[in-house]
Amino acid sequence: MATQHSRAAARFMIAPSVLLLLGWMLIPLGMTIYFSLLRYNLLMPGNNPFVGFENYSYFLSDPTFLTAMLNTLLLVGGVLLITTVGGILLALLIDQPIWGQGIVRILVIAPFFVMPTVSALVWKNMFMNPVNGLFAWVADLMGLQPYDFLASAPLLSIIGMVSWTWLPFATLILLTALQSLDSEQLEAAEMDGAGPVSRFFHIMLPHLARAITVVILIQTIFHLSIFAEILVTTNGGPGVASTNLTYLVYAESLLRFDVGTGSAGGVVAIILANIVAIFLMRMIGKNLDA
Amino acid sequence: MGQITLNKVTKSFGEVQVIPPLDLDINDGEFVVFVGPSGCGKSTLLRLIAGLEDVTSGDIVIDGTPATDLPPAKRRLAMVFQSYALYPHMSVRKNIAFPMKMAGVSQEEQQRRIDGAAKALNLTDYLDRRPGQLSGGQRQRVAIGRAIVREPAAFLFDEPLSNLDAALRVGMRLEISELHKRLETTMIYVTHDQVEAMTMADKIVVLRAGHIEQVGSPLELYRTPRNLFVAGFIGSPKMNLIEGAEAGKHGANTIGVRPEHVRVTETGPWSGVVGVSEHLGSDTFLHVHDTGLCDVMTVRAGGELNVHHGDRISLTPDTDKMHRFDAEGLRIA
Repeated sequence: MATQHSRAAARFMIAPSVLLLLGWMLIPLGMTIYFSLLRYNLLMPGNNPFVGFENYSYFLSDPTFLTAMLNTLLLVGGVLLITTVGGILLALLIDQPIWGQGIVRILVIAPFFVMPTVSALVWKNMFMNPVNGLFAWVADLMGLQPYDFLASAPLLSIIGMVSWTWLPFATLILLTALQSLDSEQLEAAEMDGAGPVSRFFHIMLPHLARAITVVILIQTIFHLSIFAEILVTTNGGPGVASTNLTYLVYAESLLRFDVGTGSAGGVVAIILANIVAIFLMRMIGKNLDA
Repeated sequence: MGQITLNKVTKSFGEVQVIPPLDLDINDGEFVVFVGPSGCGKSTLLRLIAGLEDVTSGDIVIDGTPATDLPPAKRRLAMVFQSYALYPHMSVRKNIAFPMKMAGVSQEEQQRRIDGAAKALNLTDYLDRRPGQLSGGQRQRVAIGRAIVREPAAFLFDEPLSNLDAALRVGMRLEISELHKRLETTMIYVTHDQVEAMTMADKIVVLRAGHIEQVGSPLELYRTPRNLFVAGFIGSPKMNLIEGAEAGKHGANTIGVRPEHVRVTETGPWSGVVGVSEHLGSDTFLHVHDTGLCDVMTVRAGGELNVHHGDRISLTPDTDKMHRFDAEGLRIA
């Protein structure tokens, strides 16, 4: 695209898709903002008067909001911690030349292909169920009291399920990054007197920095909106113990039929997600500069 | 000190033996070059000495202590890799300091040695840069600096110049030779380039398929190659090898004449048609066809020689500088 003419032609030709994408984004956003300013409850049909920021003050002053926000951050943070650390360790493990490496790699990657509702149901009914679950059976075997995961530690259980799904993603990206490390660098470090631990911290980890950044950024985007796992296991409960922002918005608009407050929650969630994004980019974004 | 002895060292990868039993003595302070065509096992041999590969059988002794089972870091050897293997996320200073940091050298001592190495290698201005911001030659020098500060018993170089352009290669070659003269430390240098081997080495080890074909000083190898392989490998352009009746006249199976030992004369025992002539200014290399002796004969003539493509010329070999080889390809004394 060197000449003035070809630049203009290029702009003209990408214009339709840009306009489509813009509309795709702006129309729902505009409608959400519009609804968030109305008193709009499906149980009270009638005219939907304009009420300004009333919905926002209801949503933000609701004690559930703070819990939901905290839960959202715990959920994202917990999953990130488990998948990044676990992903690095797993990647190191399956990078070793072992017999049946191909099959092991496929097995490791498999959980990522299981859809969230299915994996959550499998975890809920086959593993964590206090009567029929595998964990209960193991506890019984050892003469222990079965632990009711979803009732006693709902958020932790959900963190576990989501981590199980996303660990393969982290492993896969980190494994490819690990394989791109020049083996001569490791040999040079070995000759320089660095043991396996020093080699990991001084050579491998800095090499993985960019891949880790990508893993964290992508996962954050997805984990801010975790919903299916919560819906099919705890329904946000017990009480609001496992309600995150996404689930709270759902509860407001589709369980309490308060579209106005739900929309206000949605707008708040957008703002919070952007704040998280800014912090993340500040903290780790510099790793992406080549 | 840096005296290295290899005793019946072998190396196999699975069923394939890449190094058959091999004995070699490297004396303290020597500049030894392993040279051979690619795949001859010279890099493997270097890695065996470094400890990056385990020997299948045999012993490696460094300065009188058995080193066969020592890990690389304990052998007091420093290696310069072909890709330089610098740590990209560390500054030049940190790269050079890394081995000392691992060895727990004090900060002041580290600083002193870094300054010394930087000065010796002209790196003082670049200490705070990252390897990615340096040119090939500078990276090479950082890699050497990282090796120097360890004050090793011997330096190992694995084709260190093959990633540099021709002009830089000549410069770095001199710098490494200079460094060797100054440090007087044993150096083992692997290359496939016989010019590097000839110009730098105190002792050349010519390898083929893991076998040592000949060990000797550059001029020894040039004057008295032990067999046809060494004769063909050492010297540039390659020695002309002549078989058949002409060789029989000299009581040999094959005779070898270096291009510099054939003269273009008015009349002579040999003659041929000039093909390509390469004018270097100081010399002219003539590729002579249809001599009836070998496919193409290379002749070094004076720079001002005026011959053209297609001219028929007469050639006279220096018979006293002729090499004779028997049916097994071994030198006839």
